Amino acid sequence: MRSIAEIRRRSISTMMFVLCAAGAALIVSLLLLVSGYLVWIGISSLSWEFLTAVPTGDVSNPGGMRHAIDGTIILVALASAVGVPVGVLAGVYLSEYSSEHVATGTLRFVADVLTGVPSIVVGILGYELVVVPVSRMTQSAVSFSGYAGAAALAFIMIPIVARTTEEMLRLVPRTYREGSLALGATRAQTIFRVVLPGAFGGIATGVMLAMGRIAGETAPLLFTALGSRLLTHNPAEPFPSLTLQIYTYATGPYPEQKRLAWAGLLVLLALLFVVNLSIRIVASRHARTRVGA
Amino acid sequence: MTTGSATTVMPPTSGTSRGSKGSGASSVQGGWRLGDAVLGLACRGSAALLALMLIALIGVLLHSAWPAIKQFGPGFLVSSEWRANEIERPLRDAAGAVVIRDGEVVTETLAPAFGALPVIWGTAVSSLIALVVAVPISLGAAIFLVRVAPKLRIAGAASFLIEFLAAVPSLAFGVWALFVLAPFFQEHIGPWLLRTFGEVHALRWMFYEKVTVAGRTIERPIALTGRDLLSGSLILAIMILPIITSVSRDVLRTVPRAQIEGTLALGATWWQSCMAMLRYGRSGLLGAIMLGLARAAGETMAVTMVIGNNNQISPSPFAPAQTMASVLANEFGEATEGLHRAALLYIALILLAMSLVFNVIARRLVVGRAARSPGS
Repeated sequence: MRSIAEIRRRSISTMMFVLCAAGAALIVSLLLLVSGYLVWIGISSLSWEFLTAVPTGDVSNPGGMRHAIDGTIILVALASAVGVPVGVLAGVYLSEYSSEHVATGTLRFVADVLTGVPSIVVGILGYELVVVPVSRMTQSAVSFSGYAGAAALAFIMIPIVARTTEEMLRLVPRTYREGSLALGATRAQTIFRVVLPGAFGGIATGVMLAMGRIAGETAPLLFTALGSRLLTHNPAEPFPSLTLQIYTYATGPYPEQKRLAWAGLLVLLALLFVVNLSIRIVASRHARTRVGA
Repeated sequence: MTTGSATTVMPPTSGTSRGSKGSGASSVQGGWRLGDAVLGLACRGSAALLALMLIALIGVLLHSAWPAIKQFGPGFLVSSEWRANEIERPLRDAAGAVVIRDGEVVTETLAPAFGALPVIWGTAVSSLIALVVAVPISLGAAIFLVRVAPKLRIAGAASFLIEFLAAVPSLAFGVWALFVLAPFFQEHIGPWLLRTFGEVHALRWMFYEKVTVAGRTIERPIALTGRDLLSGSLILAIMILPIITSVSRDVLRTVPRAQIEGTLALGATWWQSCMAMLRYGRSGLLGAIMLGLARAAGETMAVTMVIGNNNQISPSPFAPAQTMASVLANEFGEATEGLHRAALLYIALILLAMSLVFNVIARRLVVGRAARSPGS
């Protein structure tokens, strides 16, 4: 009797072990399946023309996505120009000035809540908060613009950067700060010369992750940047982005444009992969220098 | 948030070269003291901006959705009508026949009306199916990552892959689902299911829908297009796998070693000790699942591309559906009429409220757990 129970117990354990391993294998193979398919189709559609040409308007020979690649780079740069400093400073506040206000706990909570806002809602906020007032001011039709898109992306970026910065700063030992202050350094000196450099690797990782995240966002741009088929570097106009162009092509009826969508996705994914990989390298190199110091 | 509470007194030597090293120590120090004030102000300002962002988000959505909130009230949540434009149609009597008076067809005019029930239904059902699929796989993978992978020395690589999967934009999943998953369902899975289960009486609700045509209710087969609730749910499941896995992994890592070793010493099998781990981390794991739920509910692009985008409530997983996020992505750009736009903003507000609640609960559960067990 007892041995049967024992056998049952053991075999359930073995079965669950196999199932757990299968779960992990399934996730990894899903990644390989999706990205493998993407690389497979994308590579065959990728060409020099894709990277350098702009849309022709001819659906059987649609040209390239130069405009969209430029657009994404400019949008991410604009969003980061606002999002990184504001996010890092807010993170510094949460970590370094936390003793002064009861509000810090609330603010940390607010930052957490903001990271959970669905991106489509951010896009709609961008429309209501930037596009509509600007249209009213300039009395034009509807003023979709790269600035509105960048603002929506910055909205997503700021809380992420703030929270990672805070967490990384908390890892810097308290004694470093005390030592710096005891040597007569001001608070700003302590923060800029001791605390921030000490957490540089972690903050850089967080910033790059956030940049990767916004580079892949589509929903916040739908009603703000709108997308464009023209090569434009003026963010005051409706602005192209890689994701918007991929979405338009993928959901459109023309097979040649669908091929471009695959190629665009491949470029986007390659970009994100490089970012993720360099994060690992930066983080590990930084860890090594810290140990050496 | 008071931003003007910088406490440092402005030194008389303000405006000197701050940051430069070398001689003139007192003026440099003065510069840095000014730097203190500036930095303090900048940090407080940035932190205040965070608060302002949330206030603006809620305030603007409330303000813009107000016409719809005023008109429909809480009934919006349970109404399933969705008419963006006025509709004029023939009036029918109780038997479903067209009413003719004086030789003319009598028409009725339906005013635009909006209700969120179909999209709430679509969001709830697709998120739940996604969770049912994703949670067991994720928990299994998390256990594997914590208990097995380190011994095989593949924990780092596996973690990197799963984190990269989390970084893949939802658009990529959407395109893949649209061109690979949906056609596969349409050509292979759908017809097979129909052949196998289509004539089973108890499962007819899956394959047939009741529609009212010209006043008569008929039953007709649902077209298996592969762009339906099931496809949307499955792509959601794939997308929430990484987040649930990585958070669960972090939760399971905080289980004290003694706990695991204790169960093993008492004669537990491998799986029984894993069960003990799951029990120990249950609130954190619940948090991980809630995070996945929040992600699923707010997910936009991938779902929009494969769920079929039809504002209807159908019990069948093969019927096209609509979620809160997908109706926003589909209709907001075309909603020129005031009430339509306000109704969509009302939905955005509900979506925001929902994901905020999920996120807050999730964070409480995950962080609360981590705080109580400082990784012994």
